[in-house]
Amino acid sequence: MNSLPVFVRRASRQQVIGGVIIVCLALFAVVVPLFAGDPLTQDLDHTLAWPSVSQPMGTDHLGRSVLARLSNAARLSLSVALISVATAALSGAATGILAAWRGGWSERVLVAIGDVVLAVPGLLLVILMTVLAPGESWPFYVGLSAAMWVEHFRIVRAASRSLLASPQVEASRLLGFGPFYIVRRHLAPELAPMLATLTIFGAATAVVSLATLGLVGLGVRPPTPELGRLIIESLPHYREAPWLVSAPVALLAITVVALALVADREESL
Amino acid sequence: MGYPSTGRTIAAVCARRLTQAVLVALVVSTVSFFMMRALPGDPAFRIAAARYGEDLVSAAAADQVRTELGLDQPWPRALGDWMARSVRFDLGVSFVTGAPVIREIQEQLGHTLVLSAVAMGASLLVGPVLGAFIGWRAGSRLDRVVRLGTVLVKAVPSFLLGVVFVMAFSIQFASLPAAGHADATSVILPALTLAVGLVAGSCRITRDAMHRVRDSEYFMFARTKGLSERDTFLHHAVRNAAAPVVAYLGVQLVFLIEGVIAVETLFAWPGIGHALVHAVFGRDIPMIQGTALVMALMFVSLNAMIDVATLAIDPRRR
Amino acid sequence: MFVLTIAALSACGRSHPESATAAGDSEDMLQVVGPWEIVSIDPLRSGYLFTRMQATETFLDAADDGSPRPAVARDWSVSSDGLTWRFELRPNIRFHDGTTLVVADVLAALERARHPPGSLALAPIASIEGAGSTITIALRTPFAQLPALLAHSSTQVLAPSSFGPGGAITTIVGTGPYRVVEVHPPQSFDVVRFDGWDGPRPAVERARYLAVARSETRGLLAESGQADVVFTLDPATLVRFKVSQRPALVAVTMPRSIVLLMNAGLSALSDIGTRKALSLAIDRPAIARAVLRDPEMAATQLFPPTLRGWYATHVAPLVTDVSEADRLLREVGWTRGRDSMLIRDGQPFHLELRTFPDRPELPIIATVIQEQFRRLGVRLDVQIGNSGDIPLGHRDGSLQLGLSARTYTTVPDPVGTLLQDFGPSGGDWGAMNWSNAELTDVLNELSIVPESPQRDALKQRAAEILQNELPVIPIAWYRQTAAVSDRVAGVTLDPLERSYRIAQITWATRQQAAR
Repeated sequence: MNSLPVFVRRASRQQVIGGVIIVCLALFAVVVPLFAGDPLTQDLDHTLAWPSVSQPMGTDHLGRSVLARLSNAARLSLSVALISVATAALSGAATGILAAWRGGWSERVLVAIGDVVLAVPGLLLVILMTVLAPGESWPFYVGLSAAMWVEHFRIVRAASRSLLASPQVEASRLLGFGPFYIVRRHLAPELAPMLATLTIFGAATAVVSLATLGLVGLGVRPPTPELGRLIIESLPHYREAPWLVSAPVALLAITVVALALVADREESL
Repeated sequence: MGYPSTGRTIAAVCARRLTQAVLVALVVSTVSFFMMRALPGDPAFRIAAARYGEDLVSAAAADQVRTELGLDQPWPRALGDWMARSVRFDLGVSFVTGAPVIREIQEQLGHTLVLSAVAMGASLLVGPVLGAFIGWRAGSRLDRVVRLGTVLVKAVPSFLLGVVFVMAFSIQFASLPAAGHADATSVILPALTLAVGLVAGSCRITRDAMHRVRDSEYFMFARTKGLSERDTFLHHAVRNAAAPVVAYLGVQLVFLIEGVIAVETLFAWPGIGHALVHAVFGRDIPMIQGTALVMALMFVSLNAMIDVATLAIDPRRR
Repeated sequence: MFVLTIAALSACGRSHPESATAAGDSEDMLQVVGPWEIVSIDPLRSGYLFTRMQATETFLDAADDGSPRPAVARDWSVSSDGLTWRFELRPNIRFHDGTTLVVADVLAALERARHPPGSLALAPIASIEGAGSTITIALRTPFAQLPALLAHSSTQVLAPSSFGPGGAITTIVGTGPYRVVEVHPPQSFDVVRFDGWDGPRPAVERARYLAVARSETRGLLAESGQADVVFTLDPATLVRFKVSQRPALVAVTMPRSIVLLMNAGLSALSDIGTRKALSLAIDRPAIARAVLRDPEMAATQLFPPTLRGWYATHVAPLVTDVSEADRLLREVGWTRGRDSMLIRDGQPFHLELRTFPDRPELPIIATVIQEQFRRLGVRLDVQIGNSGDIPLGHRDGSLQLGLSARTYTTVPDPVGTLLQDFGPSGGDWGAMNWSNAELTDVLNELSIVPESPQRDALKQRAAEILQNELPVIPIAWYRQTAAVSDRVAGVTLDPLERSYRIAQITWATRQQAAR
């Protein structure tokens, strides 16, 4: 029996390419910061330096190592994406199953909350959160998770409703199996692929939202490196040092494209 | 993302969206209230400084403002006062300019609507046409290439494209304005930036919808009835493909509103997105509240219109 | 399809630069760009923009060196006891609405300027009276800088038709060579040559001031020739223009300094040893080289050498010496904690630095200072927000550190600004919770004593005290640079930033443009 999960076995060629790129990015984000040096140390005598042996990606307008800043920015994006998506998926699945199972008031309240959250574009929600605690990082997690939670909740609730009414679940219940068993045996295998796609889209949303906030200047406080902030800081120097802008732009583009390749399930004919 | 409503009638749709709007307004107002409290320094001082100018403000003026707006009361009571004022559309004056928030927002909203309309209009001209063409020929080489293209383009955030445009067009070509001045030619770059992402989305959706229609039973039935390819396209395919395209507009709205924030800031286009960012920078709570309210309510009302349009196009949903 | 559209539009763009108002050829429109938004049309708030575009006139003018020149007032004299000043108005001044200026209009303008932030609030005025074409100002004590205060933009004279019911300003109707035709706050306003102007006829017929917040955008407007005079470019753009030699640059060193403001009331900053240590930790030459791209701008004291008389010739310059800074801090009880940050009595050395993005170099310098202080063991949180946060923080006591650019000739004679900043109660853009009795006396004397060796000695003493006590830490001096398109000629910069001198600008001839 093939030990790989179903969605890996059935992966199309473009999904594999996307997956490989993501693994490389993850390695870049996790491993490179360990030896790339301090992203904050400035060297005002060697600003805007071309790539060299000691600075493989050159230095920025304050003499800081671009490699260190880029890899730390990637690490930040990765952790924000992972944490917020995981929170959204878990809470969405839990509340979705709860709503489908219990019904009644708890379901109505959750649906209403979902409607309100849906009414506000996610980025706006995150921005409002950042005003409450400027410069801190918890607003991102809370805002992003809240915005992404609704999708997971709705999908899980809709799917669970029909699943829970099926004869198999009925049988398990009659046989005396408890809710955890039912969730694990009947619901999880059906819900997993749907959640997987949503999670990947969510990760892309999280990365882009964080970068958008950095671009407009509302993100993490300087001097913490962040992709959007790196782009906007480097823009004035695009003539003298084009690699300064190109690197974070390319990294961001590659990340979201790779995620899109993995998420797109249409087989190439 | 905006899903099409599950209501069966136009009245039900409107009722649902109206409740949504009211709830959203309440939430935004409450959050703004707590933002005010979370501000460092004295909010009464800030309001007094906005009213009388920084140099004329004094502790006495701040005290007067405090009692007038009830800022020294325990927060439940203060929150109630705040809500009451919002319901009366008394959004206050900007902390930064001292001008009434409503007036500022009116001007900015106009600019954003212009930008969005141009971007959306351009994308609706190109996207569905391209998508229909491709979908009609689903399976061809061109189809595969365009499909992959739309996936990639849709994924990339609009501001990256904007950065590339700013560097390429304004320097190399030195004729398209990169300025913020809101005149006719300077809308091109920001609108183009937004339009590209929108085109990718609408093209893909139209293609999928057209593909499904073409393969469907009733289409083949129409063809066997003897209708020409052109007639079946016009009479059956377009109507049936239109429904998901219109519904997808809801998703595109999210893209548009979120894109507007970044693109307006990048091109210094004086719209609502730009104003919101400025307001957050300046801790200008009344402006934050005002712009956030306007954006959210605009979003809800546009979604409502899309719901109604979907119902009108596809009677099966009723 | 997009490509074709763009190609077509770019062809159009090249032959018809920047579309202007519907009527009139855009060739005649001078486009001035700056970062300052038109917050309101109140002369006390954004009024300086209208004076700069020469739509309004102030009571007196000032030459490049700060000495008073005639404007609305043509002649003046002062009594021997220095308490009574008499001003003769220029005859036949017309407002833009056609009415003739009368003494009551000038009195109204001067009364407005007596309220803060008007400049006359600083003068010990007992009364202002007018009759016929003479204005008499009676002072409580002698005050030599009165003419300088009278040249400030808050004294601009407006016609009665500028005011609506209730006294609020509704339009700008002034007396300058240009009249305001359209105002689009906060972004732009247009002016047009005024035919009733009694001076020489300007060559430029129409002009527009455009507020553009992003410095890269200003740079692009300068580079593409869409703007004729562009102010406040960021250092990277300046370097690019210097290298490519296009567009042309015009520069003037101003008596403006980038300073670090400090709340001396905080226990961490109250003693002078700590402030000196912070000053020693800042590498000013590196900031001038790397950030400002102008090595000569590294400050050695508060006033630049071009501010003759005030530049202290006999003080030790500010230097960088991190080990001496360490020693000074240890002397007052700071020790390195576990995270190698300074700590004293359980309190970490942790402060908030406020600055704003209106001047593009400020946030970058703030980041540099943050890092330089980190090496010293001081933790800084940089808060980039509105420029109004600093005066607000001064008044409600929440300001800890501020980074700003301070112009010492907002009023042509620095004494006025220095009294504001370093007087007994400190100032919004100056000292906070700090005062020095000797400095106050020196500045007060400077208000009375006329030009003489005694006055020069007093100026030097003031500069010395500021250098030794460091109520604010000077970081860099300032060179005002503007990018000028090849459509125009005769652009000069006013070191006092009171006027853009549009009336002296001419359109370049073919030979000049072709170069």
